[in-house]
Amino acid sequence: MNEWIIETKGLSKRYKGRYAVSNLNLKIAKGDIYGFLGPNGAGKTTTIRMLLGLIKPSNGSVNIFGKALNKERLSILRRVGSLVEYPSYYGHLSATDNLEAIRRIIEAPKSRISEVLSIVGLAKEARRPVKGFSLGMKQRLGIASALLGNPELLMLDEPTNGLDPSGILEIRELIKQMPKQHGITVLISSHLLSEVELTAGTVGIIRQGELVFQDTIANLHQQAQGSMSLVVSDPEQAHITLRQHGIESVHRGKTLLLEQTSDHTVARIVRTLVERKHDIYRVEEKRKTLEELFLQIVGEGTQL
Amino acid sequence: MMFKALSSDFLKIRGKGIWFLIFLGPLGIIAMQALNYGLRYDYLTQRYAGRLWETLLADIQMFVPISLFLGVTLVSSLLAHIEHQTNAWKQLLALPISRNAVFFSKFAISFLLLTLSCMVLAIGVAALGLSLRFGMETMPIGSILRLSFLPFAASLPALALFLWLCMLLKNQAVPITLGVLAAIGSVFTSLISGTLSKMLPLNWPMFGYIGPRQELFVAAGFAAGCVICLMGTLHFIKKDVN
Repeated sequence: MNEWIIETKGLSKRYKGRYAVSNLNLKIAKGDIYGFLGPNGAGKTTTIRMLLGLIKPSNGSVNIFGKALNKERLSILRRVGSLVEYPSYYGHLSATDNLEAIRRIIEAPKSRISEVLSIVGLAKEARRPVKGFSLGMKQRLGIASALLGNPELLMLDEPTNGLDPSGILEIRELIKQMPKQHGITVLISSHLLSEVELTAGTVGIIRQGELVFQDTIANLHQQAQGSMSLVVSDPEQAHITLRQHGIESVHRGKTLLLEQTSDHTVARIVRTLVERKHDIYRVEEKRKTLEELFLQIVGEGTQL
Repeated sequence: MMFKALSSDFLKIRGKGIWFLIFLGPLGIIAMQALNYGLRYDYLTQRYAGRLWETLLADIQMFVPISLFLGVTLVSSLLAHIEHQTNAWKQLLALPISRNAVFFSKFAISFLLLTLSCMVLAIGVAALGLSLRFGMETMPIGSILRLSFLPFAASLPALALFLWLCMLLKNQAVPITLGVLAAIGSVFTSLISGTLSKMLPLNWPMFGYIGPRQELFVAAGFAAGCVICLMGTLHFIKKDVN
């Protein structure tokens, strides 16, 4: 796809000689849900702040909707809804007034306030001062503010922080609908892969300020290919038998480890072994979970 | 664009005690003099017979600069605190609004609120004088208005400076301490005589009323206020929002 909603080139931010973000080239397609992943302190929030023009990049450029952010910030922001890190709110005001304070600036229609409140499930609490809200409710209010201006692009920084499991599920469903129903592009950051795995189409993984992976979830799954392990009565003999049939395996103790995991190959292996009178105790698939892969990607190069 | 921000700011100051403070300042000064004149009414009216209004204005004048500095500090701090409290800056500045509109709006709302304080003071002085039976026909309307508004105009540099400091620093203890020091300091710097006294911005609110050449101090206040406000804006535009 040629039309990138967000494209950054060599985006970097230096704090006192140390790069918080360095040479980031993000590409986010229209209508996609982009999961922006990385451990705490990897530079996710710094990046999102740069994408919103809250902080100025030390180097590099940001293009949103094909326009340069440093030149047309206001016209870009008019089409963007955002939630940065923990929610900001005016505690002494009610949920409605909090949204009204934003609405007066972005000039959305007044009816939009009750719409977004019901979208995030806060319609009943609209009149209460926000300081009495639970963290989850404040987070929902933050999402409501992001949606207030009918944005074409949503940037949500850890939107499910502090939510309970049912809240997480709700927000996840909500985010999933965005591209389908309204054609909204979503950038969602998280430190948990499991969090975005189910919603995102593309993921970018950032580690110590550098983008170390950027591809579709499907391709990430590919990399997470698993292996089969067989526990057999005589692993040494079984290993030799399989080799004679052209199947490579590694044996460790009573276990044989095989790289191929297609149904056809597994069936052939089992049949061969059974025919040679081997006892097979267990056939297990060891899937490297995405989480393990993520940890592996993120873990490379850490000094801890 | 600034009016959008201003209308939003007016909504945000609800229930924050700012409105209360705006009335407390001038009414406090009036109440002090009401007590003063109430307790020794006969003595004072006899001693200052013929120039009762002038004496009342002079008595009130002593407390105007200190109240202005305190008011400026507290209003700036309360306004900035609304945004600092949950770091709403990051939410506000990610909206499609220019940063100078945000900054000017804060300046405008504090200016309007303090102007309201000045109006309350003017009305309060007139009401106090009348209720003390100083006489309607001798009421120096011009002087009352000058006392109420000119010192404020001369204290605009303080407003611009403290607003900037309050918006810049998350820890409001620093600007509030400086503001209180300035307010108390203004009592002592007013005792300095000579040219030095007139060079000190802390004394401008006083000279803005008592003169001579009030217009110089008012103009200097306006000019310095604008310059500091401009510097504040330029800095605010460039600042990273964390």
